[in-house]
Amino acid sequence: MAGIFVYSEDAALAGQLLTPALELKRALGQPVAVLAPDPASAAALAALGPDRVLVLEGASGSPEALAPALAALLAQEEAQVVLVGATLRGKHLAAHVAAVLGAGLASDARALAPAEGGLGVQRILYGGLAVSDEVLAFPAVATIQAGTSPAPAPSAAEVAIEPVQVQADARIRVHRVEKAAAGGVDIAASRRLVAVGRGFRTREDLDLASSLAGALHADLACTRGIAEDEHWLPIERYIGISGRTVKPDLYVAAGLSGQVQHMVGCRESRVIVAVNSDERAPIFEAADYGIVGDLYQVLPLLTAALAK
Amino acid sequence: MADDSFDAIVVGAGPAGCACAYALARYGRNVLLLERGNEPGAKNVSGGRLYAYALDMVDPELRSRAPFQRRIVREQIMLLNEGGAVTVDHHDPLGGGEGADSHSVIRASLDAWFAQEAEAAGATVASGVKVDALLEEGGRIVGIRAGEDEMRADIVVAADGVNSVLARQAGLFPDVKPHAVGLGVKETLELPDEVIDARFGLRDGEGAARVAVGCTAGMAGGAFLYTNRGSLSLGLVVNPEQAGRSGRPVQELLQDLKAHPAVAPLVEGAVPVEFSAHLVPEMGHDGVPARLHREGLLVAGDAARFGINTGLIIRGMDLAMVSGLAAAQAILASPTRAGVGETYMRRLEELSLLPSLRALRNYHGLFGIERIFGAYPALAGDVMRFLFRVDGSVPAPMLGGIRRLATSRVPFGQMARDAWKGFRCL
Amino acid sequence: MPNILVCFKWVLDEQDIKVRPADLSLDSSRAKGKISDFDRNAIEAAVGLVEAQGGRVDALTFGGPSVKNALKDVLSRGADRVLWIADPLAETADAFVTAHVLAAAIRQHGPYDLVLCGEGSSDAFNQQLPVRLAALLDQPCLSFAQTLELQGDRARATRKLGDSVEEAEAGLPAVASVLGEMNKPRIPTLKQVLGAAKKPQIEVPLAALGLEAGLLRPRSTRLGVRGFVMNRRNIIFKEPDAAANVARLAASLASEGLC
Ligand SMILES: Cc1cc2nc3c(=O)[nH]c(=O)nc-3n(C[C@H](O)[C@H](O)[C@H](O)COP(=O)(O)OP(=O)(O)OC[C@H]3O[C@@H](n4cnc5c(N)ncnc54)[C@H](O)[C@@H]3O)c2cc1C
Ligand SMILES: Cc1cc2nc3c(=O)[nH]c(=O)nc-3n(C[C@H](O)[C@H](O)[C@H](O)COP(=O)(O)OP(=O)(O)OC[C@H]3O[C@@H](n4cnc5c(N)ncnc54)[C@H](O)[C@@H]3O)c2cc1C
Ligand SMILES: Nc1ncnc2c1ncn2[C@@H]1O[C@H](COP(=O)(O)O)[C@@H](O)[C@H]1O
Repeated sequence: MAGIFVYSEDAALAGQLLTPALELKRALGQPVAVLAPDPASAAALAALGPDRVLVLEGASGSPEALAPALAALLAQEEAQVVLVGATLRGKHLAAHVAAVLGAGLASDARALAPAEGGLGVQRILYGGLAVSDEVLAFPAVATIQAGTSPAPAPSAAEVAIEPVQVQADARIRVHRVEKAAAGGVDIAASRRLVAVGRGFRTREDLDLASSLAGALHADLACTRGIAEDEHWLPIERYIGISGRTVKPDLYVAAGLSGQVQHMVGCRESRVIVAVNSDERAPIFEAADYGIVGDLYQVLPLLTAALAK
Repeated sequence: MADDSFDAIVVGAGPAGCACAYALARYGRNVLLLERGNEPGAKNVSGGRLYAYALDMVDPELRSRAPFQRRIVREQIMLLNEGGAVTVDHHDPLGGGEGADSHSVIRASLDAWFAQEAEAAGATVASGVKVDALLEEGGRIVGIRAGEDEMRADIVVAADGVNSVLARQAGLFPDVKPHAVGLGVKETLELPDEVIDARFGLRDGEGAARVAVGCTAGMAGGAFLYTNRGSLSLGLVVNPEQAGRSGRPVQELLQDLKAHPAVAPLVEGAVPVEFSAHLVPEMGHDGVPARLHREGLLVAGDAARFGINTGLIIRGMDLAMVSGLAAAQAILASPTRAGVGETYMRRLEELSLLPSLRALRNYHGLFGIERIFGAYPALAGDVMRFLFRVDGSVPAPMLGGIRRLATSRVPFGQMARDAWKGFRCL
Repeated sequence: MPNILVCFKWVLDEQDIKVRPADLSLDSSRAKGKISDFDRNAIEAAVGLVEAQGGRVDALTFGGPSVKNALKDVLSRGADRVLWIADPLAETADAFVTAHVLAAAIRQHGPYDLVLCGEGSSDAFNQQLPVRLAALLDQPCLSFAQTLELQGDRARATRKLGDSVEEAEAGLPAVASVLGEMNKPRIPTLKQVLGAAKKPQIEVPLAALGLEAGLLRPRSTRLGVRGFVMNRRNIIFKEPDAAANVARLAASLASEGLC
């Protein structure tokens, strides 16, 4: 039995998970199986080189409601490695699976590789201050964020799609689900970003940032508080350990302090620019260029200067 | 709650408050020590030099447990000029001698430790609580208010530091003078112990204390540098009025100091880890307000402006502890509320605090001689350069040369007037 | 009236941890402890529920010897009692071990109608303990809750899940994890701080939980930790003249080919 199993309710992310799964297959010599939420994604994923595709049938409701059923299935299959897409629902599901399997679980894992005694992974500690190298004994579970690796190239091999019956956990009743309106922009793809923080006093003041973004042909991003507390920008615009990770050419951080939990999401940008009135704000240590000053004064001037 | 009342409430867990609460608790008083920082010491950044006699006065057992950094055995004075310095180094392996030892301390750990000692002795310590006001009834102070909560006690000790809101509220400071305080900035710089030992000529936990003049852009003030374990405390105290007028942030002076050729090698490679700015009472006796008590209230430590800055010596923590102790002794000794204040003043005399301030009362006048902070340190450099100069030419006559150098910096008459003034201050 | 347990972790304040540039090791010698950020929201949520509808709140933590420093703080935030497990094993415990330890303590000292956790711990940010706990206790888990209500024997939550928001409900007993946005943790008042001194602190020795050795053996082992250093140019314009600063920045951006 055994095997490397891959699951994400997000089919694109599931495809990306196949890349580390197939690498591990080479080292561990175990087959790679994909758990697909529906027939359509099963077919798409089958083309990316897994050895098995199991399509979940009878599944309804939220993905994490499948956790007990998947855990039972994976226990029965004696799964050695389980890779789950690191959405919040995926994290919930993975934690349940890990608990049932009695396994270790690395959240937001990177650099997966076989290691002495199990699966080697890297993950972030202290909000981004440090990176830790860990080894998970088998069976091992890991969640992996979107964008960590590209999906593998399609393979010609034929794979049978096996249906498996699963039953959702009925203990949680969901009354209503609202998909957050996608803001239209995928900031992970933006080459330039202007990020705003609590230095902005009102929602209207974000116009200053929008104008600058206009002059730079950039999109807007923000800190967690701006999205989660103030709701001034959609959730998928916030950067950081609990938000998105981006790597643009230019990241202009205006009126944000630059705490590590935020910076971990943007510190691989090519050029980081800071505008902050507090010379001691940590953002200046993280910036290539910075202006110490009031954003209400600096942003309009900068917008004007760039518009020329 | 029935026990919402204490014998005494001490506000502020700095050296003054901790000493007071410790002494009261040891003698069985039900004392509450309040600190606005999340824990004692959290708000008190960086280090200082503690003259240990004060701790001994509170309780001789304390020193064996105190988180001292290094015992000071080197006193160093630097007269900085544009490119160099004249440094006097007094090495005293005895560290001041019996009863006069001093130690570098880090405030965060000193305060945290001292508050724990008070707690272990029986005091109730509550951190993260900012006292907003005194409770007053019929002209007497009967307790404090923090947020919505009121707490009553027979006596309140305001040990809330140099900006004491409580003492001001109680109307004890109608006469606060802005020039009665210095503006201090300090920084903690991390450096490995081996490096500190090598740079300052130290071993086995020995420490050095440096003072420097000539680094304040001519303003009244000076710098200090203490060695800790694994770090240096570097700071600068200047006259806040002059600093305000000069328009230069004091922080910048500190950065300039670090870059000075005579200082840079000492701090090279050190990593700044903490920074703070704070006022220092330094006027000695003349800075102390006329009244330090009201019925139900005693004021101690920096709140009472007990501070001495002679240019060579900065004393505040020791005076804070002694005054905290004096307050505790007064409370313990006075059967009635009314007499506590008078007893407190008497204890401040008996414990030599007020007499010390009086003895040094004129010292601060030295700070009125502005040339001490610029021209004279520079002159010292000129003279040294002259004395040690060998360039193959015919040496100038010694006295004449020195005199010429001197008058090029300060006219002779001025120098005489300064000398006289200085003489009178000392 | 509900009997609530809130799990909290005592962590080092990451803002005090420094990275030594020479070898990227971490220097936590100056780091103070704190109750993990989002656990303060969980505590506030538990106390808020009880203040509104009665009941009681226990707090539970598993940590090294320094967890003792957390007890007064959690009690002044409104918990009625704190159960604490201090053991050096906590230093190397992973979520597998921690979940078993906490679940065992809950079985021993419960039952609880509701177990609350933070959405993720500030140091590890595993975001998995609450779900693990629920699995071990065989209870449903309302994870990532932004609002939480108790209605009779049911809990109702608004869960925020990145791309969607949902209204969900589960029967009690249940576990929930609390998002940082649910509330603003209180700053304890003087009376609350003083009151804390009188509340029970119950030490639960790890050995008393009767966990077999296998459940105390971490499944995940840390090999090493490396600090992350920002290697940036740090060219900061701070003249009093904002226009001059802006001109210089614009020139720099131009030289980078960014405008
Ligand atoms: C476990 C955990 C996870 C977290 N995850 C994330 C995350 O994913 N993303 C995230 O963003 N945060 C996250 N946080 C929160 C993070 O720690 C910070 O608190 C947050 O990023 C700060 O947001 P901010 O910079 O907008 O606000 P603040 O820290 O309040 O900073 C505001 C800044 O604006 C400056 N300012 C004010 N007025 C002006 C002016 N007029 N002109 C110029 N500057 C001005 C101020 O000097 C200040 O530096 C997390 C925290 C924890 C504990
Ligand atoms: C740059 C500099 C260098 C110095 N160097 C030395 C030195 O080398 N040697 C030396 O002996 N002295 C030195 N001093 C002076 C010394 O720091 C003070 O004299 C000493 O700290 C006074 O102690 P204190 O207990 O009176 O006040 P503080 O140490 O100021 O303590 C007051 C406490 O009260 C708390 N508090 C304030 N208001 C409230 C409130 N409303 N409610 C609750 N709590 C409150 C504060 O948080 C603080 O913890 C220096 C000072 C400075 C600024
Ligand atoms: N050692 C611990 N003791 C008590 N509660 C914990 C502990 N570790 C984690 N938790 C709880 O589980 C939540 C999620 O933690 P984590 O899975 O580590 O991100 C935290 O917010 C706490 O509520």
